[in-house]
Amino acid sequence: MNLATLAAGILTGGLYALIGLGISIVFGVLGMMNLAHGEFVIGGAYLASLLVIGAGWDPLAVLPLAMIAVALIAYPLQRYLLTPLLRASKTAPLVATFGLLLLAEALFQAAFGSHPKSLPAPYAAAGISVFGIRVQAVYLIAFALTVVLCAATHLLLTRSRAGTAVRAAAADPETAAILGINVGRVYAMTLAGAAALAAAGGVMTGVAQSFTPTSGLPLLLTGFAVMALAGIGTVGGVLLAGVTLGVLQSVAVALFGGGWSDVVVYLAFFLVLAIRPQGLFRRGATA
Amino acid sequence: MIRRLGPAAALLAVTVACFTAAPALSQGNLNLGVTMLTYLAIAQAWNMLAGYSGQVSLGASAFVATGGYATGLMLAHTGLSWPLAFAGAAIAATALAVLLSVPLLRLRGDYFAIGTLAISIALQSLISNWPWAGGASGLVLPVGGLPSGGKLFQVAVIVAAAATAVTLYTRQSGFGLRLAAIRDNEAAAAGLGVSVYRHRLAALLVSSAITGLAGAVVAFQFVVVSPDGIASVNWSLNAVLMTIVGGAGTVIGPVIGVLIVYYGLTWELQNQQTFSQILEGLLLIAVVRFAPRGVWPLLCASVRRVSDFRRTGAQEPAGEAPVTEDELSKDLV
Repeated sequence: MNLATLAAGILTGGLYALIGLGISIVFGVLGMMNLAHGEFVIGGAYLASLLVIGAGWDPLAVLPLAMIAVALIAYPLQRYLLTPLLRASKTAPLVATFGLLLLAEALFQAAFGSHPKSLPAPYAAAGISVFGIRVQAVYLIAFALTVVLCAATHLLLTRSRAGTAVRAAAADPETAAILGINVGRVYAMTLAGAAALAAAGGVMTGVAQSFTPTSGLPLLLTGFAVMALAGIGTVGGVLLAGVTLGVLQSVAVALFGGGWSDVVVYLAFFLVLAIRPQGLFRRGATA
Repeated sequence: MIRRLGPAAALLAVTVACFTAAPALSQGNLNLGVTMLTYLAIAQAWNMLAGYSGQVSLGASAFVATGGYATGLMLAHTGLSWPLAFAGAAIAATALAVLLSVPLLRLRGDYFAIGTLAISIALQSLISNWPWAGGASGLVLPVGGLPSGGKLFQVAVIVAAAATAVTLYTRQSGFGLRLAAIRDNEAAAAGLGVSVYRHRLAALLVSSAITGLAGAVVAFQFVVVSPDGIASVNWSLNAVLMTIVGGAGTVIGPVIGVLIVYYGLTWELQNQQTFSQILEGLLLIAVVRFAPRGVWPLLCASVRRVSDFRRTGAQEPAGEAPVTEDELSKDLV
């Protein structure tokens, strides 16, 4: 194990944080486990592939478009399907998002086939030196993007009127509604925002690795692992948790071999969930 | 009395009928039957855990895999006879459940669901890295020592009947009522003197043992146990899909669910897998949205509405609905 392993872990962790951030926000605000989050990630990658592979665009140029497209799909899903279910019962949205997962997987399969795809970019396989440590350029870009998006999300939630509405709706939907906040719209905007973050993670994942219609589920679990580690309600905690997971994984691979990377992630996830359901980086229980 | 014993007698009659019909069935039908009975057993086990005790698990595959691998390892490495390996599956799955109950029973609601999902995936990747169990390519069972054809069908009938019997018992007993009380209002149930921990643990252990037995049947049928086959998350997902479509918290619901999801969508559309999965996804969303209690309670309700007075002993299953509606919490799917 050396510094390069550590650096690779930190940078991969950025990508995990980006995927976990959306899950964490949705659970924090809506109290809903979104099993379809991984499909938003892969959906972003597939939609981007239309322009990247089809028209030769640069993935980073397509990224905002993919974010908007996936957000536009997510908004009506929350507004007209999931929010009414959320009011009826607590487990119904979980099952419905599982239905969405199945549906999305099948649609990706039908539209794009089951062959692994990736998004070609000049920086996909290139390495660059940072402080004498060689890292993959795409992960460095993804990490920078994650930091920017995390900061933007944090500012949006804490410094804007819309963010205040979101936090009000999260704290007490009934009171927020009485005060004139359209909770249904806030919920839909929240899922749309989370989906946009997921799509950004998806495009970067697509550049760094290949993906198939069934890649969503492992990504979803990684996202849940990040959320479990971070606890609900802190954007900074999510970033820290993603990086922790990335480092843990790359250390495990360096020590035990490639097959163990998933084992470590899921075991860490499960242990944290079992021992500290409120997350590692958070004081006080919310569970 | 008849109300209590009627369903049990019906279950016994169906079980005996299936058991004796086995030699008369063709190989293709036997194979289809074993698959559907396996799904039924897993769905009923999930039904008991999620439908009655309110612990929504996404980790049934962990116990299918444990049962299947326990059977496979015993047969491949020790040369025990298959009935012993079959019993071993239940023991191994129960042992795993005991071990996991320590962290799992601290979790509730969505956390329980996600925790079980994490376990099943962790187990799948652990098995892939375990050379003694064949690693990623899996383990082939010695074909000679396995039950097959009619005998395997009979084993599957017994497992599915046991699973259904457990659900029936849960439905009719004080134990089941206490489980439902915990599901609906844990604090109130605890206040009335119900031991929440012990009841949740019992539901978890019984459900896991049955799922493990179903895993052994899968291992017998597939002859090979592999991380991508018997440890696949699809087992968990199908259990949820079938039970919720049919009606969680009812005895007949999972039967209807298996018929709709496996026979209707998977078997009949086996040449169009993508289309079949699209339908599954849409069906699940439609059921949760428009018939949140599932197809069976919906059916019962409409039958009752059409002919309220015609409900006699001969239509005993329809008698399930009134109790169910009272029992089933609004909080449940």
